[in-house]
Parts: sequence; C-alpha cells; structure tokens
Amino acid sequence: MSADAGRESLMEPLILIVDDDEALRRSTQFLLASVGLEARSFASAAAFLDAFPDGDPGRPGCLLLDVRMPGMSGLELQRVLVERGFAPPIIVVTGHGDVPMAVAALKAGAHDFVEKPFKEQHLLDTIEAAIRLSRERMTQGAARRGVRERLDRLAKREREVLDRVLAGKANKVIAYELDLSIKTIEVYRASLMAKMAAGSVAELAQMVALLGRDKGKP
Amino acid sequence: MPFQMLSPRRSRIFPAQAARIAALAAFALAGPARAQETALRVGVLAYGGIERALRDFEPTRRHLEAALARPVRLAAYDLDGLRRAVAARETDFAVTNPGDYVGLEARYGLTRVATLESRIGATTTDAIGSLVIARKGAAARRLADLAGLRLAAVSRGAFGGFEVIWREMDDLGLSPERLAGVVETGFPMQRVAAAVREGRADAGVLRACLLEEMIAAGEAAADEFAIVGERPTPGFPCKTSSRLYPDWPFARLADTPRDLAKAVAAALLAMPQTEGRSWTAPLDYSSVHALYRQLRIGPYEDRAAPGLAQLARRHRGWLIAAALAALWWIVHVARVEMLVRRRTAELTREIAEREKAEHDARLHREQRDQFSRLGILGEMASNIAHELNQPLAAIGNYAAGLSRMLASGHADPALLAEGTRAIAEQAQRAGGIIQRIRAFVRRREARRERLDANEIVRETVGLFEGLAGRRGVRLHVHLADGLPAVLADRVEIEQVLLNLLQNAVDAMVEAGETDSGVTLRSSRDGAGVRIAVRDHGPGLTGEAQARLFETFFTTKPQGLGLGLPICRSIVESHGGRLWAANNEDGGLTMRFTLPPADAPKGDAA
Repeated sequence: MSADAGRESLMEPLILIVDDDEALRRSTQFLLASVGLEARSFASAAAFLDAFPDGDPGRPGCLLLDVRMPGMSGLELQRVLVERGFAPPIIVVTGHGDVPMAVAALKAGAHDFVEKPFKEQHLLDTIEAAIRLSRERMTQGAARRGVRERLDRLAKREREVLDRVLAGKANKVIAYELDLSIKTIEVYRASLMAKMAAGSVAELAQMVALLGRDKGKP
Repeated sequence: MPFQMLSPRRSRIFPAQAARIAALAAFALAGPARAQETALRVGVLAYGGIERALRDFEPTRRHLEAALARPVRLAAYDLDGLRRAVAARETDFAVTNPGDYVGLEARYGLTRVATLESRIGATTTDAIGSLVIARKGAAARRLADLAGLRLAAVSRGAFGGFEVIWREMDDLGLSPERLAGVVETGFPMQRVAAAVREGRADAGVLRACLLEEMIAAGEAAADEFAIVGERPTPGFPCKTSSRLYPDWPFARLADTPRDLAKAVAAALLAMPQTEGRSWTAPLDYSSVHALYRQLRIGPYEDRAAPGLAQLARRHRGWLIAAALAALWWIVHVARVEMLVRRRTAELTREIAEREKAEHDARLHREQRDQFSRLGILGEMASNIAHELNQPLAAIGNYAAGLSRMLASGHADPALLAEGTRAIAEQAQRAGGIIQRIRAFVRRREARRERLDANEIVRETVGLFEGLAGRRGVRLHVHLADGLPAVLADRVEIEQVLLNLLQNAVDAMVEAGETDSGVTLRSSRDGAGVRIAVRDHGPGLTGEAQARLFETFFTTKPQGLGLGLPICRSIVESHGGRLWAANNEDGGLTMRFTLPPADAPKGDAA
C-alpha cells in the first residue's frame, strides 16, 4: 500500500475547476491544456460534490474555485470540502480587488487566491505550487499510513519498548521498568526496529514524529 | 258728390269678386230683356269701393244706354283688375284717374274720348290740384319749409292726394326722404285734416277744393288751417298749392271701333250734368306724363335711364346710408381682422409657451429618468463589473493559452482555431453587455409600442439573473399564458422591473435570507396585465411603507431615494398603478399593472 501511495503522488496532476461561467471554465481549461495540464470543470458546487462524494480525486492537483456563484457559493463549498478532509489545495478565484473575500477564503483554509481576470503566469505558478504541495501531501500521507501500519503490527511488549526507546531510555532502565532481562529487551528492540524498517533510533523518532504531526493537525 | 282721386294701388278688390258684382249689377240694372244683346262694356276704376264706383257712374251708364240704344254694363276694378281687363280686351272703354290713364295709354294705346267735369260747389271744373295745409300759426309757409316735418296724406300712391304735391316738392329739390315722415291716413280724406288738427302730422295734403267743401259743410273752421305754398291759379275756384291737371278721362281701347267711340264721345258730351258730373272734350294729359316723367314713377319708372348725378341726387339719402353702412362694414371688418390677428398672435404665443413648457417638462423627466437609471447602474456597478470581467477573463485565458501553444512550437491547428473563435465570441459578449448598459442609460424619448409583458419580464430577468445569482439569490419566474399585449416603453418598464428586483435582492441579502429567492409573477389584471415581484426579506415597517414613494426617502446607505418614485411615475404614465404590500408569511411584494394595448371590447371574458 505504501508503494501505491508513492505511485499516486507521481501520477499526472488533475486540475479541478468550479465556475458558473461556461466561457471562463472552458478558457481556463484551454489555458491549462496549452501547458499540458489536464483539467475537469464543474458548473456548480453541487455538480462537483456529485462527482466527488468523498472529496478525493485520488490524483495530485488542485481545485480552482470561483467564490461568487449562484446556489452554494465557493466559500461554502470550501467549508464542506475541508470538513471532509479534501486533500487537494484549494485556490479561490475572486473578483478583481475583492480583498475581504480572499482573506475570508484563506482563513477558512484555502491554499491561495487568484484575481480574475488572471495574470496567466501568476495563475500557472500558483497552480504549480499547489500541485507540488499536493504531491508532498500525498507522499507524506503515504509515509504516515506506512508508519501507522507498521506500528499497528508491533506486539504489545514491542510497543512498550518502542515508547521507552523513543523516550531516550537505556536498555538497562527499560529492563528494570518492565521487569525483564536486558537480553530480552535487546531481542524486542531488534525485532521492532526490523518491523518498523528503521535503521536507527533517530530514524524511528522521525517516523513517529510524522505521526505525531499528523495527529497534531486538525 | 265730388269725384275723389286716389291710386287704385290702395284698393284691394279681387277681380273675380269684382266681376261677379259687376255682372250682378249689370243684370239688375240692365234688365233681363237686354242682357242677351251685345252690351257695351265700361270698366271703371273703383277708387272707393265697388259700390261707390258703380253708383257714381250709374247716371253716365244710363245716359249712354239711352243714347246708344244698346245695353251698357259697368264693371268696377281695382288698378290691377282694370289693367288685366284692358289687356284681355274684356272691356270696351275704361274710366280711370289721370295717373292710371297715362300708364294704360303708354302701355295699351288707350285713347281718351272725354274728360270728366265735376261741379264743386257753385263752380264746374275739369281740373284737379292739391292743397297743403298746416295748423294756423305753424312755421311752414312754403313747400320748401316741409323738410324735416311730418306730412299727412291719404296714401303715398294717391295721385291728387300725394303725387301732385310730390312733383311740386321735387321742383324745389325736396325729396320725400327729407320729410320727417309721411303719415298715411287712408280714406276719407277728411282724416288728413284731422291728423293735422290733432298734431299727428305737421302738415297735410288735400285735393284742391276739399278744404272749401269742409268749411261749407261746417267740418272745419274758416281760419283753422294755414295754406302752405299757395299758388295763384287764375280761373280755378279753389286754393291750391300745386299746378293743375286734367280730371279723369273716359278712354276707348285701341281696338274699340272708331264709330262706336265716336258715338260714345258724342253721347258723353251731350250728357247733362247729373249728380255733379258731366263730360267735356278730351283734355291734354301731357302734364300728367310730365309729372310721372319727372318723378320717374308710373309709366316712366324704368324708362329713362337717369344720369349718374341725377341718380345720386335722387337717392342721396340711400347713398349716404349705404356709404355709412359700407364705411361701418369696412371699419368693422378691419377691426375684426385686427382682433383676429391679435388673438392669433396671442394664441400662437400661448401655444409656443405651452410647447416650451411641455418640452422642458419632457426634458426634465428624461433627465430625471436617466439620472435614475444611472443610479440603478451605480447600485449595480460591482455586479456589472463582474459581468464584464467574465468575458474579459475568458479572452485573457484564451490569448495566453494560444501564445503558449505557439511558443511551444507544436501547436495543434484545431486547438488554435478553437481558441481564436472563442476569443471572438467572448469579445462579442463583452460588447453586448456594454451596449445593453449604454442603451439603458442613454437619455431617450419615451416610445410606446405593443409589447408582450412576459417578454419584458424575460429580458429583464436575463439582464439581472446573473447578478442576483452571484449574490446568492435565485429568481423564480412564473409567467401566465395568453396575456393581452400592453402598450409600453420597453426600456422604461425594464427600468421599473430592475429597480424592483434590485430592491428585492438587496432586502434579502441584507436580511441574510437568500434561500427562498425572489419570485416574479405575471398575471391578468382585468383587461390588462399585472406583474408582481415578491421577496422574502424583512418587509416594510409602517413608516417605510407610508413613505415608500417619497422622493429621496431611502433605507439604503447608498440609496438615492429616487428609484421607487420614478418607478411609480413611469407606471402611472403608462396608465397603470404601482403599490407595495407586506406578505403574510414575511417579505414584501411590489405589484404594478399595465393597461392593455387594445381597448377592451366588452366586459365579457
């Protein structure tokens, strides 16, 4: 599965566009196509949610979201997607000079915003950055999922030893705390290092830190 | 009984009646035995009634009958009757007054065979004249003094009673028009004296010798009347104011046999004086002709073409009157013309002023409407900017995409074509938006045309839908089928609808109540159409509702307070109404009506 995750992040990016204006959707798609980017567009928030009920397109990319739309507005869709753990970064499209709207979008978790009409280079740069972020997030996500799976495969004693190793305790202290022999602790230690595919304690710490950061995030 | 001369024009005896009476008289007097013989017919002018005429000449008739040994029938006529009898040869002889005689002589070739001789008092005379009397002590002494006085006469048409004196006055240059008036008394002639006595006239005309007879009969005091214009007439027994004329002639018709005429003349001359009348040798009637010639009446009425000067003299009074009338007419016409011209100028000025006022009012209304439309536009500015931004952004995207494709060196021609076509499309779209806005804002004259109200609603919705949607408000449109056409100005009604929609959306956005949307509904309203715009905002407070259509009353921070007053004036100028009502379940509904383009034919349907 971790191999899958790695492959996913390497897949061709897909740009999602939600805008009620057909000409704008098509022209944006046209522009993206000219730089080799694939895009899918949706005429409304509802149409988008229909296409991605779980909010995950399964490919790296980003969402280009017009904030002013009839029906469910861009900001509302953004709120819903964030709640559902939508992975791709969201770039909101605002009218020229609509600063309050941009600020509101960023506060609500948007990755970035662009003004309409676009300066095309700025749009493309923003999209590129978002794709990069998307890939990173996918990679990190895959790594986290790997660590979690390996952690879950540890036996109870191995997990107890791992916690204490990460706390920087020596085998002797661990043996004393767990009322086991030092020899036994050494066996557990070697076993969990192998299961976690960690070459060193420092590497192990990094892995778990990834999980911790993951947990720290909302 | 003296013979009285008078014009038969005064006598009103119908010929038929006269003929019947004459026939009866002839039958009674001539006797049945002789009635069958060829009777000699004598027509007599009935100056004082038929009976009197027949009585006066009865002695003559009897004398002739006896002398000629054949029946003689008298027939009395009035002037016209005698003339017709002469013309139709219904009579062999005619006895008439000198005036009438000269007329018949001139026209039908009558010839006198004898002249009447009358016995007046102790004197016998074969002449007639006229006398003018005045009250004793009156100022008038000569005929010329009669100017400006009232003159009594039996009749204007009487020969001895007026025409004779008329000629004397005419000699003095005194026309009857210069008299204060002619008082016509009718017969008997004694009435003329009475009129003078009683002061109804200043002077009176009598036939000569009547005054003497009246004095003799005790009908007048010897010194009661003064004589006006007395002239000496040697050999004439009475006082007179005129020259003398021969008495009545006995005349034969042109085709009466000469022998018969001669026999009749001889018989007449041989007739002894009976009842004061006898006949003498025919006199010269040229003096009568002279009178009529001078006065241009009777047989000379149309004959001599009088000179212009004569005409002018004769008709001076009328000419002066006519000239005055003409002058008055000219002045009147000139005055009327001047008044008309002045009034026309006033009217023209008034019309020009009214037109200017109307023009100013129209200009003012147009400016105000334009102002209002600019106001709406201002309120919609951010929406309009967005609307324009869309095609511009699309164009930007296409252009950028195209230049990247070209720069990459491996451009797909199909893609290039799509991009350029799309750019053209979007440019057109932007142009359309600008044109719509310009058309909406541009000052324009109101124009009425037959329109489908639903179409106006659809167009307005098309203009506004995008803007409303971006503010999160949906428009629900319910249009009734089969609505009558309305007579309206498209842009003005769109302006009203846009205003109402803008207000509705503002109200809902402000209340944070955008879910239910705005409902537009068209329906029938009597013969016309009703359009309702319903929102789900907070509705109106009592005060706001009361002041809703006041100019400059507004509840919006950026509002001008012009929208609704102008909407109402637009709707009312179309003959419709605009009103607001809170909904029972919240929000406000604005409604307006438009009358039908075609007057309804009846109340049915």
